[in-house]
Amino acid sequence: MNEIMAIAGGTWRRILRMRVVYFLIICVLILIGSAYNYDILSLGMHKQLMMDISLVLNTIAAILVTVSITFEIPKELKEGVASTLLSKPLGRTQYLIGKLVGIAITGFVITGLITAGFIFVFNSAFGEVSGSMIKGHILIMESVIPMSAIAVLFSVFIPEFLAATATVIAIWFAHSTVAISKVKFLYGGVIPDLNLFNLRSEAVYGAHIGWGYIIMVMIWGIVFSVFATAVASLIFSQKDLK
Amino acid sequence: MNVIETKELTKFYGSLFWKKKEPALDKLTIEIPEGSVFGFLGPNGAGKTTTIRLLMDLIKPSSGEALLFGQPPDNLEMKRVLGFLPDNPVFSTYLTAYEFLDICAKLLRIPSTERKKRIEEVVDTVKMSKHLFSKLGGFSRGMTQRIGIAQAILNKPKLLILDEPLVGLDPHGRQELKDIILAQKNRGTNVFFSSHILSDVEKMCDRISILYQGNLLCYGKLEDLLSETGSRVHVKHGEDEIIKDLLPEATGTIRLSDGSWELVFQNKPELSKRLKSMAEQNPKALTITPSRENLEDFFFRKIENAQQII
Repeated sequence: MNEIMAIAGGTWRRILRMRVVYFLIICVLILIGSAYNYDILSLGMHKQLMMDISLVLNTIAAILVTVSITFEIPKELKEGVASTLLSKPLGRTQYLIGKLVGIAITGFVITGLITAGFIFVFNSAFGEVSGSMIKGHILIMESVIPMSAIAVLFSVFIPEFLAATATVIAIWFAHSTVAISKVKFLYGGVIPDLNLFNLRSEAVYGAHIGWGYIIMVMIWGIVFSVFATAVASLIFSQKDLK
Repeated sequence: MNVIETKELTKFYGSLFWKKKEPALDKLTIEIPEGSVFGFLGPNGAGKTTTIRLLMDLIKPSSGEALLFGQPPDNLEMKRVLGFLPDNPVFSTYLTAYEFLDICAKLLRIPSTERKKRIEEVVDTVKMSKHLFSKLGGFSRGMTQRIGIAQAILNKPKLLILDEPLVGLDPHGRQELKDIILAQKNRGTNVFFSSHILSDVEKMCDRISILYQGNLLCYGKLEDLLSETGSRVHVKHGEDEIIKDLLPEATGTIRLSDGSWELVFQNKPELSKRLKSMAEQNPKALTITPSRENLEDFFFRKIENAQQII
């Protein structure tokens, strides 16, 4: 476990030292706050608009953070950074799990910061905060888990730009599982059903979202991640490293 | 127990469906006993780095096996007593030297109470204390090499595997690194390193091997491999008659500052006999030491022979 957390800590530090992350958080919060001014344009629906925008932008932030790992792992493998780490008593699977945990924790923190910022802005604007709104954001935070697993899976066997592209495409498909539900191969588990994490309408219109659902979806996300990481590990265990 | 043992270790590069015809390493079988400083020599493309990567489980063998301390290279417990410096090391540029070494210390399961002290010790050894909290991204090649050595000796390893450790260092840095390697040897660490710098290998290693195009040309104790090429005869000051007698057959002469002479002779049986009898008759005036070929001559002789055969 210490080995996994050591690798996770390195990934966490890398992302926290990227100035663009702070820029992203600030931009997202400015965009969410600016929705307050759209009351005329949105025919008085600016409260719902702000909630909707916050959920969409938080999802985009989660995807961007997740995709950053698709640059880190191939780069570490190509430059030989990983070789030094793997010459220590660190298994290849532990290395991948460490990367997954690192990116998931970073994703939680960044989407958590955006959620906290949104709650502050929303409360300042309208003087209220609903439970379903917060739960909608919690689901987005949870979606970081399966998205990170997809990113790690692609990172171990394709170069960085292709891995990033493949991850974005896979996530886009995974968010469109209703549209692609007829394609059994894709829907059958190769691509996760990220629509499970998207309860925007319920959150925006204040419908009930149960804690049981949130927990079940998180467990589903973890199970998918275990599956994807196992496949990644199988490929990675046979890979020649620089 | 052998520190390193390989049995017909072979590596073909290429993809799953297409392999290169020529192996990068062809049936390498070597045994390195405990207590050695082993120099792994060969020209570029000989298979040195391939062997080291196989030993470190960074690449998988096409056939054959490698054992370190009797264990396969993927044994994590065994890796706790290994130190490794890769060829042209690159580390995470966004980390400071301390953060990087701290991650390595955690991976090596160095207790948290000892970690800081140990990190300070190794950076002091490699003379990088001033740069402990600087980011690795701003380090020169030589500084990165030093941090590479620091992470390799962090766990006081029983076996230190170094891939071209002397490359990229200035003469002063090279000397310091040689001192570090020798200090490791003195504390009982087995050292296995590849190098192009033959004079350094000759000074530091007690065993060597030479690879050429994936094939092992020779391996063994350095003193056994370097053959006697002749004799060096030291003649005391004032023994002019002996000098006159020997001078015509000497292939080299050196007048030393104390007035004595050093004469070099080729390895001829009759001449050797004559020198021996002269030394017995005049033990105070004349001393004979066998002269051996140096590693550089030996290396090039082996490579030239291999070029003619392969």
